[in-house]
Amino acid sequence: MHLITQTVTDGLVLGGIYALSAVGFSLIFGVLHVINLSHGILVLIGAYLALFFSHSLGIDPLLTMPLVMAALFALGYAYQRLLIQRAVDQSHLGSMLLTFGVGLMLQNVMIWLFSPDMKNITPSYAFTSFHIAGLTFDAVRVSALLASLLLLSCLAAFLKYAPQGQVIRATAQQTLAARLCGVDVRHVYALTFAVSAAFAGAAGIVIGIILPFSPSDEALWTLNAFVVVVLGGVGSPAGALIGGLLLGIVSTLTAQYIGPSFPNATMFLMLVVMLLVRPTGLLGNAFAASR
Amino acid sequence: MKTVALILLTAAVLAFTPMVLPPFDVRVGQLMLYSAALGVAWSILGGFAGYASFGHTAFLGVGAFGAGLIEDAYGSLPPVSAFLLGLATAAVACAVLSAAISYPILRLRGTFFAIAMLGVAHVCSELNNNIDALGGSMGLNFPSVAPVSVAPEAFFFELYLAGGVIVLLIALAVRNSRFGAGLLSIREDEDTARMLGVPTERYKRIAFVVSAVLTGMLGVIYAHSLGYITTDSVYRDDTSLNLVVFSLLGGMGTLFGPVIGAGLLVFITQVVLSRLLDFHLFATGLLLVILVLAAPGGVIGFVRKWRRRST
Repeated sequence: MHLITQTVTDGLVLGGIYALSAVGFSLIFGVLHVINLSHGILVLIGAYLALFFSHSLGIDPLLTMPLVMAALFALGYAYQRLLIQRAVDQSHLGSMLLTFGVGLMLQNVMIWLFSPDMKNITPSYAFTSFHIAGLTFDAVRVSALLASLLLLSCLAAFLKYAPQGQVIRATAQQTLAARLCGVDVRHVYALTFAVSAAFAGAAGIVIGIILPFSPSDEALWTLNAFVVVVLGGVGSPAGALIGGLLLGIVSTLTAQYIGPSFPNATMFLMLVVMLLVRPTGLLGNAFAASR
Repeated sequence: MKTVALILLTAAVLAFTPMVLPPFDVRVGQLMLYSAALGVAWSILGGFAGYASFGHTAFLGVGAFGAGLIEDAYGSLPPVSAFLLGLATAAVACAVLSAAISYPILRLRGTFFAIAMLGVAHVCSELNNNIDALGGSMGLNFPSVAPVSVAPEAFFFELYLAGGVIVLLIALAVRNSRFGAGLLSIREDEDTARMLGVPTERYKRIAFVVSAVLTGMLGVIYAHSLGYITTDSVYRDDTSLNLVVFSLLGGMGTLFGPVIGAGLLVFITQVVLSRLLDFHLFATGLLLVILVLAAPGGVIGFVRKWRRRST
């Protein structure tokens, strides 16, 4: 009984982080209908920037978040305006391959800059843990989870109440109607991309403090994001949260009870089954049909 | 008829090249032929019917491992009959697997189909790697089939050439048949095609199985040319992706597109960039970006557009 509660709790903590890492991917998919295969790279850029800033400024990695998010916001805006916008109206395959190509280039640049070795960010509280009701919590993981939940709530509130967020949702629902009402769709697309990139960067910091990372991890984080989105549904922070928590629980349960090398197999099996049974995700499609 | 003659003539000329070229160039040629054959096999589903799969390595791996396991079990056979047995096993294994998953998975379209296939490839790879009886993590040995008097790289060059010609002729036959016209109509507009009486479900399923079987059999040749395989040498995401790039580079949905694309990409990565290993990923990525932005129709699309403008 104790083992299963501990496993589920670990899964929930991990799931919160998966959710944050996937929310940007989900938003781009929902609004631009683009599968951003360079998402994992944006996450890793966040992690490397946090490593760099926290070393050079000597502050806690979580405190570098505003800097990292601002940098990725700018990068995302430029990336969308300069490259993605030209492929948005092409076939699905076109934009997928474009983002994949950019992902490869950035991965290569990161190998040049940071070497292909594993890195990790170690905050001062790395090895402390505490106990509540017989369950063990690592301080690092809990702070990562709290940061994730806080950021997800901020994004949800932004999309719901802020004028810019409302414009993003309107564009997602009816691009043509939004354009008729005077929305500058290109700007909204770029803004969405920028916000998504910023959140990917924030996810990178959180991931960086709990797991080691290297430039070749990007495919893993892109695929994770895809699975989360397929599980939870496209385009909403709530969908990402549900998908992420589910993925976290399933992967820790599989690792515990089936075998430590099977989480990937179950994850992809779940992906395929979910696509077949309910392609709109558990919450349904928050935005326009993407099939 | 003219196309068949062209293919056979080119193949006949190519068959003599291993005698004059140095071994390194023969190896590059071998890789080009292997990539071209895989690209054409992929294109029967991905190019003609428009169902771009991102996980065709599932069949490559299942074919190679199916053949390897059966050849191990009948180790006493002479190498050539073991090889033929392996080819047959791979064909059957891939046919069964693809027919079984075709029912659910071909209901998905576009991006969702592509990613679901990626998922299938990963599931196959993980299961193959983690179930000890399948030998994925330990690896499998393949007996050498090349006769002693022939250099192995020349032997496999000819084998890939033969395989490539067969795959290309099958693709040509498909393209010129009623079935092929049906596949093209699915690519253009599946719902309309269905409304006009094209049996879309059956056509897609057949194309999927044909594509999978050919991929699996090529996987057997590949495994033999390597001599020893593990899960990592056949289930590779970059192979899956390269299959898409070959068609895109040459011209999506055309017969010779994947052949041109495979030749070009292998030439760029193996010959032009062979000294710049650090630069590989960057160059491939840059090539993809330029292709998508500047020449979405690939080489063939570009030539056609240029011809139309000049007339």
